[in-house]
Amino acid sequence: MPLMAGSPITRMSEAETFAAGMPVEIGNIERELKKLWDQGGGVMTRASLINLAVYSEEAGSLTANTQIVSRITEDHACRALVIAADPSAADENVQAWISAHCHISRAGVKQVCSEQLSFSLTGSFAKLLPNIVFSHLDSDLPFYLWWQGNFHDPMDPQLWTWVDRLIFDSQGWEDFDAQMRLVESAQEEAKQRVVLCDLNWTRLVQLRLALAQFFDHRATQEQLAEIERVEIAFAAGHRSTAVLLAGWLGAQLGWASGDAGNKTTFPFSDCAGDPITVALQETKGEAISRCSIFCGASEFRVARPTGGRLLETSVQFEGKERMHQLLPAGNNDPVSLMSEELMRGGSHRVYLRAVQAVRDLL
Amino acid sequence: MDPNAAPTQGNPLREGILNRTVPDSCTVVIFGATGDLTHRKLIPALYNIAADGELPPNLAVVGFARRPKSDDEFRGELVEAARKHSRQTVDDEVWAGFARSVFYHQSEFEDADGYRRLGERLEEIEKERGTGGNRLFYLAAAPGQFEPILKNLASAGLNQSREKGWARVIVEKPFGTDLASARELNRIVRDAFPEQATYRIDHFLGKETAQNILVLRFANAIFEPLWDTRYIDHVQITAAETLGVEGRAGYYEGAGALRDMVQNHLLQLLCLVGMEPPTDLGADSIRDEKVKIVRSLRRFPPEEVALKVVRGQYAEGAISGKPVPGYRAEKNVKPDSTTETFVALRLSIDNWRWADVPIYMRVGKRLPKSGTEISVHFKEAPAVLFNKSQMLDQNVLVIRIQPDEGIALRMQAKVPGTSFRIEPVKMDFHYGTSFGKASPEAYERLLLDAMSGDATLFARRDEVEQAWDFIDKIEEAWAAGESPPELFEYPAGSWGPDAADELLARDGRTWRRF
Repeated sequence: MPLMAGSPITRMSEAETFAAGMPVEIGNIERELKKLWDQGGGVMTRASLINLAVYSEEAGSLTANTQIVSRITEDHACRALVIAADPSAADENVQAWISAHCHISRAGVKQVCSEQLSFSLTGSFAKLLPNIVFSHLDSDLPFYLWWQGNFHDPMDPQLWTWVDRLIFDSQGWEDFDAQMRLVESAQEEAKQRVVLCDLNWTRLVQLRLALAQFFDHRATQEQLAEIERVEIAFAAGHRSTAVLLAGWLGAQLGWASGDAGNKTTFPFSDCAGDPITVALQETKGEAISRCSIFCGASEFRVARPTGGRLLETSVQFEGKERMHQLLPAGNNDPVSLMSEELMRGGSHRVYLRAVQAVRDLL
Repeated sequence: MDPNAAPTQGNPLREGILNRTVPDSCTVVIFGATGDLTHRKLIPALYNIAADGELPPNLAVVGFARRPKSDDEFRGELVEAARKHSRQTVDDEVWAGFARSVFYHQSEFEDADGYRRLGERLEEIEKERGTGGNRLFYLAAAPGQFEPILKNLASAGLNQSREKGWARVIVEKPFGTDLASARELNRIVRDAFPEQATYRIDHFLGKETAQNILVLRFANAIFEPLWDTRYIDHVQITAAETLGVEGRAGYYEGAGALRDMVQNHLLQLLCLVGMEPPTDLGADSIRDEKVKIVRSLRRFPPEEVALKVVRGQYAEGAISGKPVPGYRAEKNVKPDSTTETFVALRLSIDNWRWADVPIYMRVGKRLPKSGTEISVHFKEAPAVLFNKSQMLDQNVLVIRIQPDEGIALRMQAKVPGTSFRIEPVKMDFHYGTSFGKASPEAYERLLLDAMSGDATLFARRDEVEQAWDFIDKIEEAWAAGESPPELFEYPAGSWGPDAADELLARDGRTWRRF
């Protein structure tokens, strides 16, 4: 639950009208934040490892994102900047609120608090993010911008000079190539190495981990050169997730794309020129409910039952009993995906390679 | 291929996935499977690794102990232990999968036939689960049992690597009780397993903050240039416990604080603080540098021990307001025991970096609070500006190992106001505050390392022997017949005998307030 400026720590302000916190003047944000922390009287610990801005143009996003940020800060202390923008609104308006998300620390003694600055920007103000919002970043801490929804053409190159990691979810993109081109050109214009973090890729982390661990040892690694067929079962709306998974396998294993297949079957060839078929199948269930890799008579399978918390992995070698193991599956909700992404870091070069391998298919 | 080498790193699907590589499939054989260590630490650690998806799928665990029981009875005991001691809530589905890999083998440690039967059982399990003949033997039994276990393992040929597989042994501390016994233990271990297959476990090295010492020193450019005799005044290492002997009197009476804590845990921490940058992060590169520190520790001639080392034993007193008995009144402690429950030392490292930088160490039971920390005290700023008229505090960098792991830096700041008053302020980093995710337990990390063939966080034979060589000089002086250095009493709940304060007072210093 957010802690409001101007209210006692232990109870919500009765005057509260908005879940994002206490309304403040834009020019007074730092002063009001200081007051907020002064209320703590030493029982609160202000913690921050990153600046995390969440940008959305969806109606009602301020409340929804405040709830998400509150849960994210349980594991990732940050200065959160939650932005609700409506560039198409006729009125020109800027509003700001401050609040803090407090959680009892693992030691169970202190309240560890992350502060949140919330902004509502309408009309032309929505285009002034660097001016209005990013001037409130905590200097010295890396800046993660989570952009919800589609990017607009043209992108503001000034925006990217501030950003260290740009987080988005390509699962909802209708035109992957156009969106990706926007991001890439903005990145290029800004002449800065912004790390692109696609939550659609993060969605695959546990699955990729489960597939990778099959091939950690030399005996099974040899089988990577003998892959003949891959089957991926995905839920409606997650075709791009499945294609990214296929792209990852292709890019990492050096497969070449064959002639364009159809929407569900992609031909590849391995380094020796031998054909490999990747077959996608839409089914009910989890985003990716199964991925099977066939190498001759061997099958390496990762499956996630509907609603299951665990991945069921199994290996079947010719003439031997199938071997099973349960592994963590991760969750597909925004809080879990963001937590996973914030925890991992890295440069995501492999993601870019996977995208290039299947860009035409996305 | 070296069968003891880590699993191959050539998996292209691993690129960009930051999780560590899953270790080789193997069978972990735990000697002392019904004991406290197995229940409190080893099984919860293995379960947590399984729940995090970091165990190989066909791992097998075989408990070896004297008491007769079935596999199912053993599993039933272990699930209770895991529920009680695991850092994660036990998930029934994950446990069920893990429990299927757990087996029990009943035998006396001295019974050669029991090892022959163990060999047959292992072959069955390996065939059934496809562990590839890799075996990790964990000596969680009493130290007195190490010799029969190792000899019998060797006689039964279980110490030999299977074809393309490996055989490793984890030895729990204490690694001997003095240099002679450590050498003898090392000889016994070496007769069964080569050094590169021997993993001497010191759980302090598996702690996140202990590992972070190297990161703090060598991944931050601001500290290393200051990390020597020119800028550091002295270093303090404190390991304090509120607990008494708590049922360990049988062991503790023969060990004492010096052998129990200083020889291993505290000297290992000192090595991490004092070592030179290693050439790389390989196990031997790091251990080569660590052993140089122990080798450079100035040995005390007998006449200096009383000046440089203070030993104490707690008398009755109070902890958190509750009265507690003195050490000699504890169960299984001799009424005239001279075992030290507290020790404070003034150490010197005779190398270029640490010349003239005293290292003060103290460790004790029944102290007012529990915790382990290292504090690096920097030299004072020159007395030319602000400290002409006012004595300024030193800058102190504190590395908290446990609990509330973190790092703090004390520095000087001007107190707001029209006068020029300077006071110390603290910049404080807490792991628990900044990182919401709980760290894995030390045993989780160390078990995974041993399965993966990474010995970096395990003590090497020469480190152990050098440490004993240093400790023995003190023990010998204490055991001297006619006028051994005094064993001071201190009331439970105090910070040790006054002599420990005097040890620093002689140098014009005081212990850091803990």
